[in-house]
Amino acid sequence: MARPWEKHAKFTLEAPKTCLIQGGRRKVHASYHGGIECVEEYDVITDKLLVRKWRMESRLGGEGRWDHEVGTEGLAPSSDFLVESTANPLVTRIDTDKLFEWRIRNLPYPKETYEVSVDRFEIVVRTTNKKYFKRLLVGDMARRGMALESDALTWNHAHNTLVVSYVKPRKILEEEAAATKERLAMKAMRM
Amino acid sequence: MADVKTAGTEVKDLRLERIGAHSHIRGLGLDDALEARMQGQGMVGQMSARKAAGIVVTMIKEGKIAGRAVLLAGAPGTGKTAIAMGMAQALGEDVPFTMIAGSEIFSLEMSKTEALTQAFRRSIGVRIKEETEIIEGEVVEIVIERPSTDPGRDKAGRTGRLCLKTTDMETEFDLGQKMIEALQKEKVTVGDVITIDKANGKINKIGRSFSKSKDFDATSQNVRFVQTPDGELQKRKEVVHTVSLHEIDVINSRQQGFLALFSGDIGEIKSEVREQIDARVAEWREEGKAEIVPGVLFIDEVHMLDIECFSWMNRALETQLAPVVVMASNRGISRIRGTQDKSPHGIPIDLLDRLIIIATESYSPKELQRILQIRCEEEDVEMDEEALKTLTALGSKTSLRYVLQLITTSSIVAQKRKSSMVEKLDIKKVYGLFCDVQRSTEYLRSHEKEFLFSDFGGRTGDAEMQDAGMALD
Repeated sequence: MARPWEKHAKFTLEAPKTCLIQGGRRKVHASYHGGIECVEEYDVITDKLLVRKWRMESRLGGEGRWDHEVGTEGLAPSSDFLVESTANPLVTRIDTDKLFEWRIRNLPYPKETYEVSVDRFEIVVRTTNKKYFKRLLVGDMARRGMALESDALTWNHAHNTLVVSYVKPRKILEEEAAATKERLAMKAMRM
Repeated sequence: MADVKTAGTEVKDLRLERIGAHSHIRGLGLDDALEARMQGQGMVGQMSARKAAGIVVTMIKEGKIAGRAVLLAGAPGTGKTAIAMGMAQALGEDVPFTMIAGSEIFSLEMSKTEALTQAFRRSIGVRIKEETEIIEGEVVEIVIERPSTDPGRDKAGRTGRLCLKTTDMETEFDLGQKMIEALQKEKVTVGDVITIDKANGKINKIGRSFSKSKDFDATSQNVRFVQTPDGELQKRKEVVHTVSLHEIDVINSRQQGFLALFSGDIGEIKSEVREQIDARVAEWREEGKAEIVPGVLFIDEVHMLDIECFSWMNRALETQLAPVVVMASNRGISRIRGTQDKSPHGIPIDLLDRLIIIATESYSPKELQRILQIRCEEEDVEMDEEALKTLTALGSKTSLRYVLQLITTSSIVAQKRKSSMVEKLDIKKVYGLFCDVQRSTEYLRSHEKEFLFSDFGGRTGDAEMQDAGMALD
C-alpha cells in the first residue's frame, strides 16, 4: 500500500526539473516516470527546505492529492466529513542542516510514558498508556534503501511537545550538497 | 443507542420526513418462479406487467442483455413508474440505476445528445479497486450535542464528537451533520468496530469488539465479534467500489491548473476524452483490473423526446457500452415531437421495432383498495372500513392519483377534529374542498365566460384594462 516515493527507488537528479522563484521561496518541480511529481520549496535566503510534497495520478485518471513529506502545508483537514479534533497530537517535520526533525505537539503526558524506537525505515513513537501511536516514515532513507539505526536517534519532551531527531548519515549529506549545487545553478524563472 | 449522550434539552423529534409517491415500493413482489403475487413488496395487481418486468430483471442480472430497450406503455396512473422503481429495487444496490424524465434533457447548458450521452454513461458502472484512506477502530464514545431547543434549527446545528481507538492509540474526531446522520443510520454504538472511508464518509460496521462479548445485553445471534484493530487509526487500503463511466469522464475532463480559469465550464465533455476513457476501460477489462457493470437507464415521459433524440438512440443502443433502457409513455397515437407525423406512443416506428413493449392496465376496484391500504400505512394514516370503501369508490370514478392526495389531506382534517382515525365524513369534507380533474373541467365549462382568455368569448386583458379607464394603444 506504500506510495512509490516511500519505497526504495531512484528519485534522483536525473528527472526533468523546473525552478521558479516566487514569494521568497525557490520552488523546484520534478516530474518522474509514471505521472509522479515532486515539489520542493526552499527559502531563497537561507536555502532551508520548507516543503516537500509528492503527487501521483489517481487510478481513474484525475490529479491525485498531494502527499506532504516535509513542512506545515498539509495539516489542514482534508475531509469534509470527519475532522480530527484540534486537541489531538499534531506531527510536523522540518529538517535542520544535520538532522531530520519531527515535532509532535499536544502531547501532555510525562516524559516517562514515551517509547521511541526504530523499525527499518520508520521511527515508531508509542506511549505506555496506549494513547498515542505513530509511525514516522523517513522518506529520504526509504528511497535510498538505508535502514535506520537506533544510535542516530534522539528525542526530548518539553512544553507538551515531543521532539524526535535523527542524524543524517554522511551519504545523504553528500547527496544533499550536490543537489544544492545543482539547484542553485539552475536557471530560475522569477515571478 | 443507549450509549449516546445527548447534551441539551430533549426535544420531540418533529422531523417530517418527505415521503414520495413511490416510497412504499420495495421490489416487484415476485416469487422464485417469477410468478407475481397479488400483493407483494408494495406492488399490487398489474400481474402480467410485473412478470414481464421480472423476466427483464433476470436477464439483466445474468448479463444476457445490454443495449436493449423496453417500453412500459399504459394509461396514466397504471403503475409504470412504480414498476420501474420495483425493478430498481429488485436489481439491488450494485447495479447502477439512473432515472430521468424526458423533459430533463432540454437544458440551455448542454445539447440534447450530450444530455442523453451523459445519462447513458451514468448507467454503466465500472467496478474497480482503488486505494483510499480509511479510519478503522473501535468506538469508545459518541457524544452528540444539540445546541438549541428550536426544532427548526436543530437539524443544521448538531455537532458531536467521536472517539475511536485501536490497541495502540486513541483519537477524537469532530463530527458534522452528515456524519452524525450516517452514524445514527448505521446504529453505531460503543464497542462496535467500524471503518470510515475518508473520501466519501461511508461507514462500515465490521463487528463488535471481543472486549464487549461479556456484556449480556440483548445482542442477536448475528453479531460477529472481531479483534480490535492494531497500529494506527488511519490506514490506506484497497477498496473495491463502483464508479459510473460518467464520473470517470468528469474526472478526466476537468481542466487542470490555471487553464481552468480560461475554459469556462460548458458542461460538455469532449468526444476525444470519451474515446480515451473507453479505450482505457477496455484495457483494464483485459488486464482483469476492472469489471463492467451494465445498468439500467429509465426514461419517464419518453414522448417528450424529439425526433433527433430518437434517431440518436437508435444508434446509441447498438454501441458496445450501452445500458438497458426502460422507457415509459402514456401517450396513445400522438405526434412525434419535432415532426408533424403521428405514431404510436409518440415514438417513431423504427425505434418501436427495437423495443419490447410491456403494457399496463387500469386497476380493478379490489386492487385500488389494496393500494390505498398500503399508502395509508406508508403515510401513517389510520382509516376505518367505511372511509376506505368510500375512497375506493371515489377512485374508480375519478382517478387513483386524486384519491392518493385525499389520504393525507383527510388525515389532517381528522386530526383537527381530534380523532385518530379517518372517517367517512372527513373524506366527504376533503372531496368537497379539492376538485378532481373532471369536476374542474365541468366548472370551467359552465363559468368559462368569467375566466380570462377563454375560447368561448371570455374576457381578455385588453377589455379589463379599458374598463379600468386605461386604454392600450
